[in-house]
Amino acid sequence: MTTVKRTIETQVLAEGEWLSVTQVCRASQIDVEVVIELAELGLVCPRGNAPQDWQVSARELARLRTAARLIRDLGVNVSGAALAVELLEARRELETRLRALESCVQAGG
Amino acid sequence: MEYRDYYQTLGVKRTASADEIKKVYRRLARKYHPDVSKEPNAEAKFKEVQEAYEVLRDSEKRTAYDQLGNEMKSGQDFRPPPDWASGFEFRGRPRGRANPDADAQFSDFFSSLFGGGGGFSQAGEGRARGGRDHHARVDIDLEEAFRGGARTLELRRPQQQPDGSVELSTHAVKVTIPAGVTDGQQLRLAGQGEPGQGNGRAGDLYLEVHIRPHDLYQLEGRDVTVTLPLAPWEAVLGASVTVPTLGGPVQMRIPEKSRAGQKLRLRGRGLPGDPPGDEYLQLSIALPPADSPKARAFYEQMSRELPFDPRAHLGS
Repeated sequence: MTTVKRTIETQVLAEGEWLSVTQVCRASQIDVEVVIELAELGLVCPRGNAPQDWQVSARELARLRTAARLIRDLGVNVSGAALAVELLEARRELETRLRALESCVQAGG
Repeated sequence: MEYRDYYQTLGVKRTASADEIKKVYRRLARKYHPDVSKEPNAEAKFKEVQEAYEVLRDSEKRTAYDQLGNEMKSGQDFRPPPDWASGFEFRGRPRGRANPDADAQFSDFFSSLFGGGGGFSQAGEGRARGGRDHHARVDIDLEEAFRGGARTLELRRPQQQPDGSVELSTHAVKVTIPAGVTDGQQLRLAGQGEPGQGNGRAGDLYLEVHIRPHDLYQLEGRDVTVTLPLAPWEAVLGASVTVPTLGGPVQMRIPEKSRAGQKLRLRGRGLPGDPPGDEYLQLSIALPPADSPKARAFYEQMSRELPFDPRAHLGS
């Protein structure tokens, strides 16, 4: 097996504040039904009326991808995945705060 | 390439039943899943477990794998036998549910036996099929998020050759990171994902930006917080002090009667953006050490002359 190396120069085309629901489904390998269910559970807040016209904030793509991985890899259901994503985010936030507090204590506060 | 003992990876006997393998996989997947695990090397372990399960869950792949015999040990040098997999049909089969994410990468060992790793499958002759989106994570320093900059990423992807073999090609992709990018932000590089087949369009490449924790600054959105230690007299009398900001040190006025725990704000000194973030200075009071007789005498004088009860609010 060989390795070919070539260089592609590329620019970031768009930070993509909003992505269409089709883009989101493709990017997170998730069915639109699952996105609808996760929106009902409040894990994502798409804008637009009918699901086929929905747009999802690019920030929420990471949440959808994590949920998709948990569903696919661990066999949890959609509600379980939504709960896990929220708890993981809460844990991350606590860890950040803990680090901030620890650095404050170290600085002699 | 190196032989991989998939039974050893899962910790099961070669005679393990499909049900047993599934149970063990579920337990290990839960333990090492990179989204939830705190284990060191969780991601690498998870990929190994997934790869092993991908083979052992599928009776056809498992049978083919078992034909390699049980003489070999993990890490031993390995070449696929010339008549490998004749009579099996797993090549080009669509990905099943337990298959990895498109950006997961199986080992060379796996690819040589079963075709491309994650994200690769064979399309029908001449049929157009859009390429999958790929994802990668970029870790940057806070300074880089502040200034922006260029980054060259090396992406490995399996690519099928005309003779049916699979080659891993390395693409170096040069990415411009915009100034003011925030933690968790997604950058999309159109057309840089998996190439399309036939006339299908190429997938996109999504980059998720992660900003590494910084020794000095705590980041929240575009705002940064710095702990600013003050000498007791600076806090009490006010002072002009030099404070670090992402754009370089600035001079700042500390108001008199400042207290520990108070936050002062430097507007617009966080990450750039519209609106830009702010820098917060969390005040803390550092005690001067009493490491000389003179310093100790100062403290003794204070204790005599300052009527101060720091525990007044606790009640008597």
